Amino acid sequence: MDRRSPLVAWLGIAALTLMLIGSIVGLFIVQADAEMGDVQRLMYVHVPAAWTAFLAFFLVFIGSVLYLVQRDQRFDRFAAACAEVGIVFIALTLATGMIWGKPTWGVWWTWDARLTSTALLLAVFVGYLAIRGFTDDPDSRARWSAVVGILGFIQVPIVYLSVVWWRTLHQPPSSPRSVSSEILWTWMLNFVAFLLMFAYLVAQRSRLARVEAELEALEAYDV
Amino acid sequence: MSMTGRVAAIVWKDLLIEVRTKASFHSMLFFAALVLFVFSFAIGPDVPLLKRIAAGLLWIAIIFTGILSLSRTYQAEEAAGGLEGLRMAPGDPRAIYLGKLFGNIALLLAMEMILFPASAVLFQLEIARHALPLAGIAILGTVGFSVVGTFYAALTLNLRAREILLPLLLIPALIPPLLGAVNSTQLILDGNPLGEVVVWVRLMVAYDVTFFVVCTWIFPIAVEE
Amino acid sequence: MAAGSSVVLTGANGSGKTTLLRIVSTLLRPSSGTGAICGLPLDGAADRIRGRVGYISSRGTLYDDLTASENLRFAARLTGASTPDGRIEDLLASAGLSRAQNQRVRTFSTGMRRRLSLTALLLRPLELVLMDEPYAGLDTEGMAMVDHMVREFLNAGTTVIIASHQDGEATRQATDAYRIEGGQLMPVGAGI
Repeated sequence: MDRRSPLVAWLGIAALTLMLIGSIVGLFIVQADAEMGDVQRLMYVHVPAAWTAFLAFFLVFIGSVLYLVQRDQRFDRFAAACAEVGIVFIALTLATGMIWGKPTWGVWWTWDARLTSTALLLAVFVGYLAIRGFTDDPDSRARWSAVVGILGFIQVPIVYLSVVWWRTLHQPPSSPRSVSSEILWTWMLNFVAFLLMFAYLVAQRSRLARVEAELEALEAYDV
Repeated sequence: MSMTGRVAAIVWKDLLIEVRTKASFHSMLFFAALVLFVFSFAIGPDVPLLKRIAAGLLWIAIIFTGILSLSRTYQAEEAAGGLEGLRMAPGDPRAIYLGKLFGNIALLLAMEMILFPASAVLFQLEIARHALPLAGIAILGTVGFSVVGTFYAALTLNLRAREILLPLLLIPALIPPLLGAVNSTQLILDGNPLGEVVVWVRLMVAYDVTFFVVCTWIFPIAVEE
Repeated sequence: MAAGSSVVLTGANGSGKTTLLRIVSTLLRPSSGTGAICGLPLDGAADRIRGRVGYISSRGTLYDDLTASENLRFAARLTGASTPDGRIEDLLASAGLSRAQNQRVRTFSTGMRRRLSLTALLLRPLELVLMDEPYAGLDTEGMAMVDHMVREFLNAGTTVIIASHQDGEATRQATDAYRIEGGQLMPVGAGI
């Protein structure tokens, strides 16, 4: 039967705590940006969320590859969980990006490279989840979404490059050299917080998926 | 029983069916023209504006029509028992992908040979003197579209909501070749020095090669049961 | 199974007859376990197994917009069967489809489609032929045609496995009979 792992519970607590700390640091402790003011604090959510989202997508790719090699449903459940949680972080990235953009550029949306690529990444995630939603058989579902996950991941760098060539309005990608260590540390802090939260949510979602799979298996014989 | 033999057989079969159902090619062509018309109506009779966005309109028409065409070529397979007959062929199942791919490319290129001159007329473009570079771009873009389109069409063949799933999966994937094709076409029509076009051409080539390799490689899993 | 023997497979709807046949034909990948068909391992030699195995479902894999002879010609090219001049015509003749050879399959009856699909299996020598409900939708004449085809396969040394609800001469005269029940394959007394 199912035992709620205490490790997962601690993960959740750690995640919440760290997010709380990160929020306090980002909102109150770190100095406001000299040029852009308090709006810049949104970046403390936007940047780590973006990193987490891309990591999520990478994990979908890994899970998909592992599934196709091993044909173990656990990898499929893992990939699906990463996709579902990842989509939350992508949405968060987009939302904070747009909210930041309004006072900064005056508009909710500009067709700049990073924002547009993020939106396209969201589209790929949605496609992955859509194909899962429309497939009933667990084996087909795992197989097809694994293929979509792999192809989608390969698309991402190419899509990103092409959009960058197409528009370069966004700020140059931030690298540790061009930001103060204070900002960087806050990003890292929030990134770790988000990572923990991501791990917690994925663990819970995977567990739920396993229970769902068992239920499906039972229902299949209930003719 | 070689791979080439099987690929050729599939291409021959698909083109034969296409010729048989004569109405469909003409309908596809007319649909593409309609798309161009509708966009032009929506944007308004501002000819300089239309000329500036002509490349974009043309490639949108090609993509929409291409997606319809993809659905159709697989419909014939569906009526013939899914891909079962093709999958029962001995040897590497990748022959199915390659056969369908070349058939789709041929079909789309045939359509573009009429669509390009048609848009030249509608938008007052001078394509004659740029015919060769434009043809090259058309081929690169069509190959990019077909490589990924043929793959996703096969993948979604057995799915309930494939009419919406195919575009949903395909369109984000087509952004790079779309950008490449549209920008190259526009640059060539504007008579820009070829230097700028090279960047986009490189992008399209990289895309076409990458996904041709990946899709061919992973195809057996897409049609496996 | 001995070459040139036939097996009839019975079982309730959904018992797994089709699943089994599709696994043997390599169309379906088993979720667990492995086996060998015609001496070749399922896990790895599927491409070559299909070189020796034929499969026919009651639905058939004919293209409606092609004629009978075009469908056969395509099947031949797809499977690498050689078709010297006149072979396609001869095959169609012995299947009683000469008059319809240049008609599109769309106009064919179930019986004619089944005849054409079975004829396609005669294009090249096969070690094993799998038939899933070959009698489905056929009248007495159609069923007799199926029986005739099965006899031809057996005479040529091909092994035939038939999954069928219905009884016909071929199923009654099968060398062996098996039944699928509760997910298990069980032998039945020879014949039904």
